[in-house]
Amino acid sequence: MAQVKLDIFRYDEAVDAVPHRDTVEVDVPVTMTVLDALETAKAEVDGSISFRRSCRSAICGSCSMNINGVTGLACKTPCKSVMNDEGVIQIDPMPNFQPMKDLVVHMDPFWDKYTRLKPYLQPADRDEDHETERRVSPADMKKLVDAANCVMCATCYALCPVVSVDPSFAGPAAIAYAYRFIEDVRDGKKKERLAQINEDYLWLCAHCYACSYCPKHVDPHDRIVDVKRATIQEGVMMDHPGPRHALVVNKTIKKTGMLAETEVIQGTVGIFNIRGLAKITPLAIRMAVKGKMPPPFLRPIPKVDEVRTIFESLEVPT
Amino acid sequence: MSSTLLPEEQATDSHRHSKSSQMRRYGFFPGCVAKESCKELFNSTMLLADKLGIELIELTAASCCGASVVNDTNRDIARVLNARTYAQAEALGLDDVITICSTCTGHMRAANMELLESEERMNQANSILGKFGAKYEGSVMVRHLLWLLIDDIGLDKLSSMVVRPLNGLRVAPFYGCHIIRPEKVNGWESARNPHSLEDVITAIGGEPVDYAGKTRCCGFHIQLEKDGVATSMVGQNMRIAKDRGAEAVITPCPLCHLALDGYQQDAAARWGRTDLPTFHLPQLVALALGVPAEKLGLNKHLIDPRTILVERELIA
Repeated sequence: MAQVKLDIFRYDEAVDAVPHRDTVEVDVPVTMTVLDALETAKAEVDGSISFRRSCRSAICGSCSMNINGVTGLACKTPCKSVMNDEGVIQIDPMPNFQPMKDLVVHMDPFWDKYTRLKPYLQPADRDEDHETERRVSPADMKKLVDAANCVMCATCYALCPVVSVDPSFAGPAAIAYAYRFIEDVRDGKKKERLAQINEDYLWLCAHCYACSYCPKHVDPHDRIVDVKRATIQEGVMMDHPGPRHALVVNKTIKKTGMLAETEVIQGTVGIFNIRGLAKITPLAIRMAVKGKMPPPFLRPIPKVDEVRTIFESLEVPT
Repeated sequence: MSSTLLPEEQATDSHRHSKSSQMRRYGFFPGCVAKESCKELFNSTMLLADKLGIELIELTAASCCGASVVNDTNRDIARVLNARTYAQAEALGLDDVITICSTCTGHMRAANMELLESEERMNQANSILGKFGAKYEGSVMVRHLLWLLIDDIGLDKLSSMVVRPLNGLRVAPFYGCHIIRPEKVNGWESARNPHSLEDVITAIGGEPVDYAGKTRCCGFHIQLEKDGVATSMVGQNMRIAKDRGAEAVITPCPLCHLALDGYQQDAAARWGRTDLPTFHLPQLVALALGVPAEKLGLNKHLIDPRTILVERELIA
């Protein structure tokens, strides 16, 4: 047994103008989870401490919170892995969400992103027209298992730096879950799903891998990349900066071996996009003044033919 | 380690190796940006290598690493492009490959991991490399210059080489995602609480600033995707750094550098003015090791870092 001091964010949106903090001391074994320590605190010290929880075994996804500044499931985090030498553990609600009461947050924006993506199977034809159940081969199912393991705990959404500055981004979980249906052989709405996810700023993923801390190992980032690939393969919403960027980067590497910055910027913004070009002009001028402009044309690297051979050997003919 | 050798062993040792053969040689992968809009990074890396007594041999025929974008269309192409680079490094006897970009580090390591983990992928790569007579044997290790400084030079040695200590300049480290995450690809240090940059800052006489933004994203990869998003990510991180007392930022990544140096001005509307000068890792280390400031391309930065260096009496 040890003294664990839970330094808890306290706030009630119905009464408090500003949040405050309470330190609650509990005697628990250090191997106990943070969630169990919170349960003890609620049962023995202060019944008003509010937090979401249900299964206590990383299945329901309810108890994600910020523990010492790191978002994760309280039921999966042993006290001893996070308490400092004085036994203190800082507990806050998930970032990127509006706090409601103590560690409970308003989840609505997160659920909205899910529902927009219609997270249920939409087959192309009616069940009545099938003599058997709709079958999926083990190989096809294997592709979906990781994404289907999502417990919607919103840890990735809370960690996402893009969501933190622009909540219109669908966020990692919703895109990973969309993947689960996009790649499901039984589903008949692949193109519609891809169009929707593109509208919800699929290409705003910054590739930062903050979502790699998924407690269920969904690896949302890799699923996002899968959805981007599917977008390009299906030719959905191609006249947007994201797909344009991906294609022009490939084009310049194939041509020169290098990512040719000047051509990539022009190709992504679009050389006829006057408004877009006007927006990047001030920065371009500031860079030019400092002699910091990338060269307008690049000389190909030595043996660039080899690079072209690689592309030509692996490009799927469209 | 020569101090542990007996005198006659020392004599033999120095007899056997000429000075140049004692110089450690590395394959050097500068990446695209250090050859294009951040040439000052390339130049200061070479100047730093001279000071450190190491030889960086540029893999001049190497291609782009794929920069997270080739993956978006075709993961196989990204992997095989890197396999080609590794085959070149092996052919030159330079399987220790050094990068100076967080994104190159992460993507090259990921490609290497994919190749080494799966015979099928290695065979796929080699069947294509074979078309132009190349083969990757799987011996390459990709590391960032930051790791080289700590592993191969050592912080004590680095510190002892300092001739112009930074006088306690308060420097905020900015890692750049791909040098730390995902941890299974990089794994050189904790992705949640890295301290290599802090250690280097301390070794060269600066004071590292601890702030929540240090492991966050600069938004570079989405700069052109939607107005204001990447800008805001820069502003948010630089705001925290500034509020924690930072006077400058250091980054091992030229993509982060472009974002932090280029976008703070535009981010001011939402996050207030921060104007933190941003150094490429080798610039600040080279400066401390006595490379003349005018050789480091500091005049190329949009937020002029010379102002704070003059204030701190580090340059005239």
